[in-house]
Amino acid sequence: MPGMDVTLEKLKILADSAKYDVSCSSSGADRTKAKKMGTAAVSGICHSWSADGRCISLLKILFSNRCVYDCEYCVNRRSADVERASFEPEELAQLTIEFYKRNYIEGLFLSSAVENSPDYTAERILKALSLLREKYGFSGYIHAKIIPGVSPELVREIGLQADRLSVNIELPTKESLAILAPQKKAAGILNPMRQITNTLEEQKSLKGAGNRFSKLKQREDLLLNGLELPVSTREQEAKYGILPYKKGDLYNFAPAGQTTQMIIGATPESDRQIIKMSESLYKKFQMKRVYFSAYIPVVSSSKLPALLTPPPLLREHRLYQADWLLRFYGFSAEELLDEENPFFDLELDPKVTWALRHIEQFPIEINKASMEELLRIPGVGNISAMRIVRQRRLSAVKFDDLKKIGVVIKRAKFFITCCGRYYGEGEIAPEKIRGQMLSAERIKYGLLPPNKEEQLSLFGTERTHLLAAAKEEQRGLLV
Amino acid sequence: MDYLYDGSFEGFLCCVYAHYYKEKADGIYPEEDYQRSMLYPFYLVATESEKAERVYEAIQNKISNASLRRVYRTFLSNDPQKETKLLHYLILGFRKGRMIDSLHSVSEVYNVQQIEKKVANEQHRLLGLVRFSTIEESKEGSNSESKAHQILYAPIEPDHNILELIADHFAKRLPMETFILHDLRREKAVFCQDGNWYLGDLNRNIRFTVTEDELGYRSLWKRYFDSIAILERTNPACQKRCMPVRYWKNLTEFH
Repeated sequence: MPGMDVTLEKLKILADSAKYDVSCSSSGADRTKAKKMGTAAVSGICHSWSADGRCISLLKILFSNRCVYDCEYCVNRRSADVERASFEPEELAQLTIEFYKRNYIEGLFLSSAVENSPDYTAERILKALSLLREKYGFSGYIHAKIIPGVSPELVREIGLQADRLSVNIELPTKESLAILAPQKKAAGILNPMRQITNTLEEQKSLKGAGNRFSKLKQREDLLLNGLELPVSTREQEAKYGILPYKKGDLYNFAPAGQTTQMIIGATPESDRQIIKMSESLYKKFQMKRVYFSAYIPVVSSSKLPALLTPPPLLREHRLYQADWLLRFYGFSAEELLDEENPFFDLELDPKVTWALRHIEQFPIEINKASMEELLRIPGVGNISAMRIVRQRRLSAVKFDDLKKIGVVIKRAKFFITCCGRYYGEGEIAPEKIRGQMLSAERIKYGLLPPNKEEQLSLFGTERTHLLAAAKEEQRGLLV
Repeated sequence: MDYLYDGSFEGFLCCVYAHYYKEKADGIYPEEDYQRSMLYPFYLVATESEKAERVYEAIQNKISNASLRRVYRTFLSNDPQKETKLLHYLILGFRKGRMIDSLHSVSEVYNVQQIEKKVANEQHRLLGLVRFSTIEESKEGSNSESKAHQILYAPIEPDHNILELIADHFAKRLPMETFILHDLRREKAVFCQDGNWYLGDLNRNIRFTVTEDELGYRSLWKRYFDSIAILERTNPACQKRCMPVRYWKNLTEFH
């Protein structure tokens, strides 16, 4: 490849700028036949893990980091003093092919800053994707980011080349968006989202998140934390006619659906507001995933947390766990957090937190509970619940069987009875169970058993520092 | 009585056959690694394809297709007790039929399931952790057609014998390429051209010369790998948990 040195420089700048994009998923599209090169596996494949422990599946890169917008939280905002670069479509296509051939990556995740205008940038992205698909016969995975404000024709054209599309919602409420990203308008974000959902529905390939939202048909009547929904863009779309979609086409419109991502911890929203927002996104737009990204201070600004604030990683983790509960376990956002308790317990996972707040529903008898009830027991997952139900048909499930079935006993034992017997220690009281679970955790991490008077000062590990910092940060934001 | 076999899947099935039609087996072991003892009786079972086929079909028909797959994948593992564990699994299977697939808490099933899981996990992991390099077709290379054709070569050292389980994936993914997937530990390789592949022997000391471009792409990849990590989130424990260090040797991003 000519000019490899130039590409090397660009790669450094543009990968460095793309690293805050969260999604690396390469799942959801199923293509077993390659055109010239490339297949897509339904389950997705990770190719490597970077030093931060996040998986590398796609070549995650910006097309350009030259930006006309000036969003407060962003490394590439116009006023930032950073090195700038842009790829040429051919250069990027060739790089993708060479990486893919060597099995470095599962495909391409192409995003971009807004160079000149949203449409100009989208056209360049489209050019690169068309080259890949047509000139190089690439049939691997492509995830394309749609920049807010792009015209519907371009969204459609890019969607026909890509497997997955995403429009970043960026922040959980309209107010925050107005403060931190004044040039991004709510309509500019929601219009393309609506267009993508409608197109997928038209082509009859709209599949929602996980296994819990596909049945829900109440998409229209939900509110989006003040980001009111624009009028359907269907009339607009009618102008461009029905999509040239045939069953069995190699490239149809975004077969792996759409996702979005929002920044956590840059603004004062509560966990409750955040998961209610993601629930509405799942219901309204049938998103495949809503990603969270812990805010890392990159700029000093009065509107943002101070520069040395550690990223709220633990909070992000809890939100992801809650997200799983929404998508795979039949929980609703309203159940998980209410007005009085708008934050998750950082020390325990959200399912345990929920169970302790609803202790009257426990213990649950393993041999009698329905699938739905089993899924609500901490320590029981989808696979183990299914196995319990299957094995129950043949013989009663005994306590000793549960471990082999895959149940996490140290959590489940407080919330179940098995053949009528309770296996937890002592009475079923939320405070006691919480204490026992936490001390088990501390022993596991090699820490001293808790001393009641000065619990926190004893734990000088990184983990508790993180905890304390995260708590502090929450408090700071709430004031 | 311990049964010994030649190390092939057919050979193992013949031991199962002998267990039913000759004398009960206490254990089954590959002949190579077996510690012979004067005190303990053993018997070397000959591999006969007819007998192997009968057992193969019996598993398929009397137990289930899922069990047959499970047995084969378990057989590819490096567990030293795998044959004996499989024997116990099959004995139970022939008694219970297809119901065995739901008996997750019975120890015979649990043991095999655990091994199968390891093999399946490594199979999936390796789909991502293979790194191809472009190599020159021949070492001397006639000058006239030296740039005509590139071959992709990837060395791997998996714990379990999963080479043939991942060959299809790459054959479908790279139908226009010629590639060699080399299991250094077992000295076996998959050779693939135009989407068709076969399994053969390949010495572990074989060396290839990489093409000129190759080094350039490696440095691009390495640069990408380093830039994509977020400094504030550095978490080597998590990285190593997801991608154990024993695989790093063959990953170009670490060189």
